[in-house]
Amino acid sequence: MKLIEALEILRRPVNCSARTVRVSLACGFTPLHLKTFLEAQLRELFPQSNVSVISGRYGDLVGNIERQDLSELDAMALPIEWSDLDSRLGVRTLGGWRPDDLIDIVENVKESAERIQKVISEAARHVRVVISMPTLPLPPIFTTSSIQAGSIETRLHSIVGLTAESLSQIQGVCLASQQYLGLISPLNDRYDLKADLAVGFPYTLRHASSVATSFSKLIRNRPTKKGLITDLDDVLWGGIVGDDGIDGISWELDRHTQMHGLYQQVLSALAGTGVLIGVASKNDAQTVKQAFERTDLLLSKNDLFPIEVNWSRKSDSVQRILKTWNIGADSVIFIDDSPMELAEVKAAFPELECRLFPKNDDQGIWDLLVDLRAAYEKTIVTHEDRLRLNSIRGAGDWQRESTLAGGPSDDFLQSADASITFEFNGGCDNTRAFALVNKTNQFNLNGKRFADHEWRRLFDNQTSFLLTASYKDKFGPLGTIAVLFGSMHGNIVHLSGWVMSCRAFSRRIEYQCLKFLFDNLNAEEILFEFEPTQKNTVLHEFLSDLLKMPPVQGCSLAKHDFLARIPSLFHHIEVSVHA
Amino acid sequence: MLDPKDRLIRCFSSVFPGLSQEDILQTSADAVGEWDSLSHVTLAAVIQEEFGIEIDPQILQELNSFDAFHEYLERSGAAYIE
Repeated sequence: MKLIEALEILRRPVNCSARTVRVSLACGFTPLHLKTFLEAQLRELFPQSNVSVISGRYGDLVGNIERQDLSELDAMALPIEWSDLDSRLGVRTLGGWRPDDLIDIVENVKESAERIQKVISEAARHVRVVISMPTLPLPPIFTTSSIQAGSIETRLHSIVGLTAESLSQIQGVCLASQQYLGLISPLNDRYDLKADLAVGFPYTLRHASSVATSFSKLIRNRPTKKGLITDLDDVLWGGIVGDDGIDGISWELDRHTQMHGLYQQVLSALAGTGVLIGVASKNDAQTVKQAFERTDLLLSKNDLFPIEVNWSRKSDSVQRILKTWNIGADSVIFIDDSPMELAEVKAAFPELECRLFPKNDDQGIWDLLVDLRAAYEKTIVTHEDRLRLNSIRGAGDWQRESTLAGGPSDDFLQSADASITFEFNGGCDNTRAFALVNKTNQFNLNGKRFADHEWRRLFDNQTSFLLTASYKDKFGPLGTIAVLFGSMHGNIVHLSGWVMSCRAFSRRIEYQCLKFLFDNLNAEEILFEFEPTQKNTVLHEFLSDLLKMPPVQGCSLAKHDFLARIPSLFHHIEVSVHA
Repeated sequence: MLDPKDRLIRCFSSVFPGLSQEDILQTSADAVGEWDSLSHVTLAAVIQEEFGIEIDPQILQELNSFDAFHEYLERSGAAYIE
């Protein structure tokens, strides 16, 4: 983005009644054009909101973080530069670059890094903090030439590297990737010496724009995809299995099909993080079954479910896969090497992201792999992520047996040997609860999504509560599948949020959740902060049935009505209560 | 493609959004309240980026009106760099 474009974006009229995204740009240098770019990029990413970027005092990075009123912020952006770690690593201070000074600089950098880490840790408890570690080249302070990395230079980089490693492990902290920044902002075009000397702004316009791009993307909480549907021939492997035979397909250097191996490797890695991988292929099912027996495949057959191999339209296969996964098309990417198949599927599912597998273009495949990693990004892989595929297979078994039994009858549910573990006030650091609230659509009280800090603030009040439920039965564990939160007012529960994974439907878990609130919080009434969304029809139907009328904002359920309408429940219940 | 004068007007307009095109043609640091050191630096950065030039800091101090910038661009030939 050019500076003039950024300024023109900021001139656009703002909607005074819209929410304002408030970001603090805390840096040790003059924020100048970085502030302009950041504000403009955020305006582009949050078109429905106003944006306010505030900055602090020159030369005081730590103070700018400490002085900030975090309760009003949505995020804090911290571009840390070498001069913040020791002013002698900038050009606006003449503190000496003699060999003895260098030893002192290293010690000082270490102390500054520790101090900065401490204030960031504290800030990250309240607000999302996005950080770039030093992006500018070091000045010519070393005894070695700029070609050689001497011990002082490597020690400085080591301190910064260790600090970055520690920061990346703090919840609420997002580090800008140096590799990504390197791609969009070459090192030799980052430093503006003239502007640094003149006004204390060390970035070239291009670099300022690139850092702002990085920050704004990290500040935005983009929903990630959940599933991937892949074609097989000339995609998962090189060659056509029906023509070339089981041994004719390949994914190896010698046969120039290595990129298919890398693709398998990425899909396998995604499956390991809980991404659902399905197959939609026009092929002979028996031949494909034999192909999957090959032991050198880098992707286990167990990672793929369902596998739709037939000669019908691809969109039919995609439809069956989406139904099995029970997720929306907008959460899935479909990959095929045929533009015609992609177009056919796209016509049937406009929300589905359809990507061409560029089979003869190694760089194109590489770019696709990079994009896939971004689309399914995950900072933390939870226990539930690992359970997901097995629980979907288990859901298939559940569905089959339930259908054979004529529906989820009392007898069938009793035989399921189900147990629910409730965890009460286990802490807002429960990443699974946070993730479930932010991605569940169908059984969702009001569809509200939360940023890290907004989520944490929900539980500041002593009357507030967080309840999670995990489930298992004879078909396998589902992990944490329900989250309820709200507050207690006398004997009335205000339920602000309630989500349940679609994998847990038809098990009467939702009744147990309400029963828990009535029984354990001594509640006589539950008030629902219900709001209809385009997707929460499942919860709408459940509440309609329970309340005997369509739910509205603030609708309530009395304990005696609940007890009169509740069906038989057969779960074994365990409860874990935290202070 | 806009002519150099229009491109310069666009630069001024991005930094001083309250000024009309006629105002911009007459504008100078003395006459515009918002024309402070910060907006001067921003204006210079926008113009340098737009015209692909680097203005010497000594000369920049003297460029305190629309006409001054326009004459500088004409004199330096930068106005005709695409």
